[in-house]
Amino acid sequence: MIKFENIHINYGGVKVIENLSLEIGRGEKVVIFGKSGSGKSSLFSLLLGFTTPEKGKVFFDGKPVDEKNVWNVRENIAYIDQSVSLGSGKIKESLASVFALKANAGLGFSEKRLNDLTNFFDLPPDVNDKNIEDLSGGEKQRLAIIIAILLKRNVFLLDEITSALDEALKKKVADYFANNNEYTCLINSHDPVWLENPTIKIFNLDEKKWLQ
Amino acid sequence: MATIDISIFSLALTFILLALPAALSLIFGFNLIKSLFYSVARMSVQLILIGFFLKYLFEWNNAIINLLWLTVMILTAVYSAVKSSEIKTGKIFAPVFISFSFATFIVIFYLNIVVIPIENVFDARYLIVLGGMLLGNSLRGNIVGISAFYKNIRKESKEYLYKLSLGATLYEALLPYFRDSVRLALQPTLAAMATMGIVALPGMMTGVLLGGASPETAIKYQIVIMIAIVTSTILSVVLTILTTIRICFDKFGVLQPDVFIDYKNGGNKKRIKRNKKLISKTE
Repeated sequence: MIKFENIHINYGGVKVIENLSLEIGRGEKVVIFGKSGSGKSSLFSLLLGFTTPEKGKVFFDGKPVDEKNVWNVRENIAYIDQSVSLGSGKIKESLASVFALKANAGLGFSEKRLNDLTNFFDLPPDVNDKNIEDLSGGEKQRLAIIIAILLKRNVFLLDEITSALDEALKKKVADYFANNNEYTCLINSHDPVWLENPTIKIFNLDEKKWLQ
Repeated sequence: MATIDISIFSLALTFILLALPAALSLIFGFNLIKSLFYSVARMSVQLILIGFFLKYLFEWNNAIINLLWLTVMILTAVYSAVKSSEIKTGKIFAPVFISFSFATFIVIFYLNIVVIPIENVFDARYLIVLGGMLLGNSLRGNIVGISAFYKNIRKESKEYLYKLSLGATLYEALLPYFRDSVRLALQPTLAAMATMGIVALPGMMTGVLLGGASPETAIKYQIVIMIAIVTSTILSVVLTILTTIRICFDKFGVLQPDVFIDYKNGGNKKRIKRNKKLISKTE
């Protein structure tokens, strides 16, 4: 599903990733493990076409990610970034703008589905009426997760999505993704809660080795 | 009643007024004397030169020369707008020049051919003076709009990229910034129009009245020029943003960091300088 082939990434003249090859199959859940700054988020940037590697190729669903198909690749990946860049303003409007995009217009936004998910992830039922700035870090994180799920995509790039959550919610979120057979997940996280799931594979980015 | 001319002696007397701001600056320590005198001196020299130049321009009233001079004015305005956008001049000068030229010429010729209308559409008095007013006033809006557009996208790069990841096309991701920038660019002109005549008589009207025209004529000219300004401002901002997008964003839809003047290979020049300063302070 996702393939990184002989990837070299430089940032500011510093070699961040050197000769990395990594393949993630459909339905797999892979946690990327490595020191801060070891380039874990760079892998997400590569896949989404936000940066290009110095050397090497990135493949999604068998095809190389290039300027023509990257727009289509993005429509098939749900990305939740570390800083939860939802912007500001009314949540209702933010949600509406997500589903107003041409790429998402055919999805059909269901209030019921939104309510089910807000319930499931312990968000207050009236969250839709709030402003993004009024949410706590953990609430924003869960909102971003919900949006990602509502996009009905099967490939997820999860960048530290449990960092602001309490123990119970961390487990809930990790289980939700780990146990869904349809989902392919590339996970950037320091959180040990992910490792509790037998479906999770672990890849050490510094040593370029599979651990589990 | 035509304009009363001011003799050179009388003009010199006006400079005496500057003793007031100078005194205040000394008393309160504003430290403004140097920049005040520099600006006044520079303005005076520039206006004197322009005065001579316009005298001959009006005398010759040659269409080609007039157009050339208008082009020089546009080039200067474009350079000013590009410099303040903090984007590398070489990259966007051409599209901005085309946008400004198009916006200015379309409005000016509409005024000269349809609205006023005058026999010689290249008449110096109308082409250059009106053209200059258009350029000067819409330049302000352009500077605000163009720099806001690119600076905000760079500042909010995470939000912008997130939008792309949601499936947005380049246009969809840019739209909110485009809208904000254009609104920002027009705000001063719209605000000025809203209070025009109530707070103070605007420059164009004042000049026309001092020149001996009736108030009826004066207000008509003022209305015409304000509508022309708002039209050319929005035209030039929109065209400039649309034409520079293709240069500043790559085919993946990402704003290229190296289009900014302060970009140094490997990161933000300013940030690197700042960090170096901090490090040397703590050592």
